[in-house]
Amino acid sequence: MKTAVEIDVNSGIGTAVMPKISHSRGYSCSMLNNTQPFSEIFDPAQGQPGLIQEIPELRATKILECTQCGKCAAACPLVLSGFSFYNKRVIQTIVVGFKDLILNDSSIWACQSCNRCTEVCPMGVDPFEIMLATRRMAVREYALPTTAIEGIKSLYDTGHAVYISEAGIPRKKLGLPETPPTTTTYHEALLEVQTIMKKTVLAELGLIPMGVFGITERL
Amino acid sequence: MKVGFFIGCNTAFNRPDLELAVRYAFPRLGVELDDLIGQSCCPTSGTMPSIDLVGWCALGARNYAIAEERGLDMITVCSTCFGSLVRTRYYMLTNRGIQKQVNRILQEIGREYKGISRVRHATPYLYKEIGLEKIKEAVKYRLDGLTVALQPGCLTLWPSQLQADKENDPFHPQILREMCEALGASVPGYSRLLDCCGMGAMRSTDMERSFYLAERKITSIRTEINPHLIVTGCSSCLIQLDTTQEFLQKRRRIYYEIPVLHYMQLLAFCLGADPEAVTSMSRIRPDRVLLDLLLRYQ
Repeated sequence: MKTAVEIDVNSGIGTAVMPKISHSRGYSCSMLNNTQPFSEIFDPAQGQPGLIQEIPELRATKILECTQCGKCAAACPLVLSGFSFYNKRVIQTIVVGFKDLILNDSSIWACQSCNRCTEVCPMGVDPFEIMLATRRMAVREYALPTTAIEGIKSLYDTGHAVYISEAGIPRKKLGLPETPPTTTTYHEALLEVQTIMKKTVLAELGLIPMGVFGITERL
Repeated sequence: MKVGFFIGCNTAFNRPDLELAVRYAFPRLGVELDDLIGQSCCPTSGTMPSIDLVGWCALGARNYAIAEERGLDMITVCSTCFGSLVRTRYYMLTNRGIQKQVNRILQEIGREYKGISRVRHATPYLYKEIGLEKIKEAVKYRLDGLTVALQPGCLTLWPSQLQADKENDPFHPQILREMCEALGASVPGYSRLLDCCGMGAMRSTDMERSFYLAERKITSIRTEINPHLIVTGCSSCLIQLDTTQEFLQKRRRIYYEIPVLHYMQLLAFCLGADPEAVTSMSRIRPDRVLLDLLLRYQ
């Protein structure tokens, strides 16, 4: 019988076997690899020492203030729902230097951005900022889920991360204009959004077709 | 009084009935809404914020610039929009370097970020600017005898130090409770009040785990207070709690359903809006609850 979290006393960073909700709650197994327990033993000496430098460069400057007290984890919805890499453990893994562990897991992309961690952190670390910086690091390694790419593409193509083209029908029924007064109605506004996005790192990364650096969409 | 209406993707495309409710309620409380023509996504944290801080701030700044050109603050009914815009403003105002970089990008489209306008969440906005007394006077139908469960919405409460209309104690939120009580409803507490609903990035990454959070929440609501309605302050919580109950029923996890409304929908109803219209996209119909109330006034 497995307990909720098994800490391996021989390891440096505490290997954990995450509880599978699928077993205890009767749900079917999830599609993503965050349900797979990782029970190898990690040698902290094998970590990549420079990893901790990358995070402040990606604009999360207070990571070294973290004392691993765990208040953020106690408040985190990712912990409550059994994801492997929540705020505290992401920070710990970065400090020890295991980039692949984080990149091979979808946890950071499930962060709800709820900011509970930022609210409770006694050291002013702003763990949410670190989750975002970790995502930025993953994006630079092209390790991001397709849902994220879809959202970015939708943002570029329509000005909205969530866009439903059939929304015109219910909107019309309610007596609202078929499209809201946003970039979806005003094409010049959409061009402004696209101009801004072309001026950011997104264009250099080439994640979505933006008509720059020779990457265009051909149907 | 005039304020810009930052609609937000989920409200505009998923729940236009909520948009209608806001457009109904605000003018009737004496607040004129400006459309902020040309507004875009906030942007939400899974997109630009996960790629580049300056790009995130630039897209946020463009929305602020539209409000600034009209000399208005913005209101939104979505916690995600609220949280994203609050943060971009904080980054740009506390870091001159970021603001400069952003304005260099905005130059390309002929706009400028000055840092005047603020974003405010619709419910605390009405609480502070209109006040409970005026809302009580304006309502046509009262909710006496109705029990509601609250779901305030994470980013409405946290991080409190960045917010203009913050709660005195974000871990014991009062604003939404007092706003519901002003309409006549009774609002008992329940143990998982502050729990996350599971919407957002978690739902798009792993639905099972997202449903698990929603189930915990809904079970707690049902077993502890068994309310007529769940009232949220956030459009994401509205969508999550409204849609997951159907999934949970199919999986035999729950055997009941509780209608979910955004506070703005409930307010619009109390101010005299057609209940059919302002809740038209709800999967779980609140008709019985609302029509029962209306019958009292026949």
